[in-house]
Amino acid sequence: MTAAEPLIRMEGVHYRYQAGTRQPIAALRGIDLTIGAGEYVAIIGANGSGKSTLLRHLNALLLPTQGNVCVGDWNTREAANLRHIRSTVAMVFQNPDSQFVASTVEEDVAFGPENLGVPQQELRERVEWALATAGMSDLREHPSHLLSGGQKQRLAIAGALAMKPRCLLFDEATAMLDPAGRARLLETMRALHGQGMTIVTVTHHMNEAAQAQRIVVLSAGQVALQGDPRSIFAQTETLQALQLDVPYPTRLARTIARRVAGFPREVLTVSELVQAIVARSGSPLQAVER
Amino acid sequence: MAKPSEFELVGRVTIGQYLPTASPVHRLDPRAKLVMVVLLIVAVTAGHSLSALGILLLAVLVVLRLARVPVGFALAGLRPMLPFLLILALLQVFTIPQYGATTLWKWGILTVSDRGLLAGILLLARFSTLVLGLSLFSFSTTTTELTHGVEHLLRPLQSLGVPAHEFALMVNIAIRFLPTLAEEAERLMKAQASRGADFGRGQRSFLQRTRQLLPLLVPLFLVSLRRAEELIEAMEARCYLGGKGRTYLIHLQARAADYVAILATAALTALALWMSARNVDAQVWRWITAYL
Amino acid sequence: MFSSGTPLIEVQGLQHIYLQGTPLEVQALRGVDLQIQAGESIGIVGPTGSGKSTLLQHLNGLLRPQGGEVRVGGIALSDPTVDVRAIRQRVGLLFQSPEDQLFERYAGDDVAFGPRNLGLGQEEVRERVRLAMEAVGLPFEYKDRLTAELSQGEKRRLALAGVLALQPQVLVLDEPTAGLDPQGRQELLRTLVQWRAADGRAIVLASHNMEDVAALCDRVYVLVKGQIALHGTPREVFAQPEILMSNGLAVPTVTEVMLMLRQRGYDVSTAVLTDEEAAQEVEGLLHGQTL
Repeated sequence: MTAAEPLIRMEGVHYRYQAGTRQPIAALRGIDLTIGAGEYVAIIGANGSGKSTLLRHLNALLLPTQGNVCVGDWNTREAANLRHIRSTVAMVFQNPDSQFVASTVEEDVAFGPENLGVPQQELRERVEWALATAGMSDLREHPSHLLSGGQKQRLAIAGALAMKPRCLLFDEATAMLDPAGRARLLETMRALHGQGMTIVTVTHHMNEAAQAQRIVVLSAGQVALQGDPRSIFAQTETLQALQLDVPYPTRLARTIARRVAGFPREVLTVSELVQAIVARSGSPLQAVER
Repeated sequence: MAKPSEFELVGRVTIGQYLPTASPVHRLDPRAKLVMVVLLIVAVTAGHSLSALGILLLAVLVVLRLARVPVGFALAGLRPMLPFLLILALLQVFTIPQYGATTLWKWGILTVSDRGLLAGILLLARFSTLVLGLSLFSFSTTTTELTHGVEHLLRPLQSLGVPAHEFALMVNIAIRFLPTLAEEAERLMKAQASRGADFGRGQRSFLQRTRQLLPLLVPLFLVSLRRAEELIEAMEARCYLGGKGRTYLIHLQARAADYVAILATAALTALALWMSARNVDAQVWRWITAYL
Repeated sequence: MFSSGTPLIEVQGLQHIYLQGTPLEVQALRGVDLQIQAGESIGIVGPTGSGKSTLLQHLNGLLRPQGGEVRVGGIALSDPTVDVRAIRQRVGLLFQSPEDQLFERYAGDDVAFGPRNLGLGQEEVRERVRLAMEAVGLPFEYKDRLTAELSQGEKRRLALAGVLALQPQVLVLDEPTAGLDPQGRQELLRTLVQWRAADGRAIVLASHNMEDVAALCDRVYVLVKGQIALHGTPREVFAQPEILMSNGLAVPTVTEVMLMLRQRGYDVSTAVLTDEEAAQEVEGLLHGQTL
């Protein structure tokens, strides 16, 4: 894999905070991570491993207590850089209901660029483009709180796109959606990546992580594993020790491999699995004849 | 057929709900509508003529139809307040000062005079007209229009240090979260009812029912706080830094129809105040009694 | 206790309309038939807007039938004089994201909310809280912890304990594993299976997670646009993946794989539920044996 130009760099990042009467919590304990331009990265880890905390460092919603985060040449610690950083790196959050400000779709999409002081003519254009890219043009004047969960998340994406970012962050954005909504959102993420968008997503669903180019596994605030999905999911015992699982198709492939010698164990998706079966069976006609 | 569940709050809270029916009323400039609302408030509260209130109520209903809002739906928005209103009205009836009034009915220490009755009916008419008028406003105005309207109207005061944009946004978000929080409240009530809490109506004393609501307040408050935090994050992530340097997708441009609407409302307000000042009610009463 | 054969819950021709008579009127349920026997785990699946939540809320009397009937332990819920609180003790309902609904300062108090509402004495309340917390795998000492300081997984278990403390016969759960990490999900499912094992109990599970449904449920009802489109054992229901998928529903991964193989002309059965069964089918296919 050719080295991508780094878009976001985290160097020696530590993050501690105080929650109520508890002891201070070290949520991140020395993170070194680079997100390359155009990459699709998934961050996985058990609850409490620091995934969401890490994500929020990428667009300066949180500042490291130690270490540095740089988006391009902009260090997140400099207040003057915030506008640049957050219009370059936009975020879609988990709760569809808590992200929109305005009561209609197009007005909410305009919120970001309005904050950036984009002139009115360009505002219109950006809103139209963002709505079209997120597949929400028909719902332009729809009241935002009457949208379905999946539609609300696409509204959030449109709102983020209107800022013309180079990178989109997703914080468990599919967690509160039904399977249809989730599939649609993943499809949108793939399409955006295909158009050159850098994608960083935090997720519990291993199937979703499997569609990334690189997976970063967090454990107790540190990077435990990093690599492409196939090599990560091959390390079953390690993942189990980290309270993680493998995607369903992978699990199924391994069950099959116990009965069929030489069956690939490192399958990632349903279609790969089916392909593997088809490849080993000869032609379909053969099977039906029996 | 069973009555609507005691939990169906969302549909019933009509103030704050937007009905996209694309009517001429929807297309009016929000500043014009804001001015009309203020005029309506003046007309309804300043005068004391029942016949004027009747005209105002009629006017509001007509505009509701113009806005393509089903009148029944708007009237149903009054139902949650009805018990409260009736108590207030009754208080008026029994406690209004009695000098110069004709006693219509006496029962022990309770006297109902014509003036008392009038006061009670006036109260009901005022509240109804106001609620319908405000609901009409929210049915036909998106909250961002409202924000823009308020902000535009307050802008001249910005040089005096009035934070017009921030104030308008605050109002915007408060209104936009009403249905969301109503949903949350409904969910919480149902969750607690599922564990044996009793929110039934009409069975217990007012005090007991209030006490039953207390366990709702904490989680509702917590949920509101959490929503607020999440919203703040989302706004910050989209570079919100206050009103300075912001541009706007929506620019308000007043048209002839807006001025006509304001003038019509102003005329009605003037009429209502005139009818009150000239005691037209007495005239109307004479006509009615003469007719009968 | 009922004679065997009397369903714990019976639903016949159930109808429900929201906001009837307003411009926002919506018919959520259009005649639903359902039965839940003691010892069963019933799954209810359906796309968003199918009426799942509405149906669940009828099972414990939060909503009353507007047409048709719901019977809990033989008692008809359309009867306005029904003691709903008794019904809600028999049928416990755990909503989605129940950790959002905790409100007591101390964890133990929140679990005690239900038993206290039943008017039980202090000793009995304490005992019920202890049993409920044990059932969900939370140490009894947690009762003195601040609710706010529990982790998300612990909060969810606490909320479940709050329902179990009522000692219901039927446990109704709306998306219980949504948002949990893989380990949390496994633990919750284990807790449910253990709870159900005792006599005279039943579980109703509304879920989008087809693997959960396939693993846990004896029977499944598929709800589409307010009506039951399919009903049967998970094997029977998932053997018709086309109907499910055309209604925007997922199917377990194993079913999806079998379906795709069939679409390519392979003669495999889609009536498989577990990884083992699927592996067997594939083995048979690849080793050329007919089954």
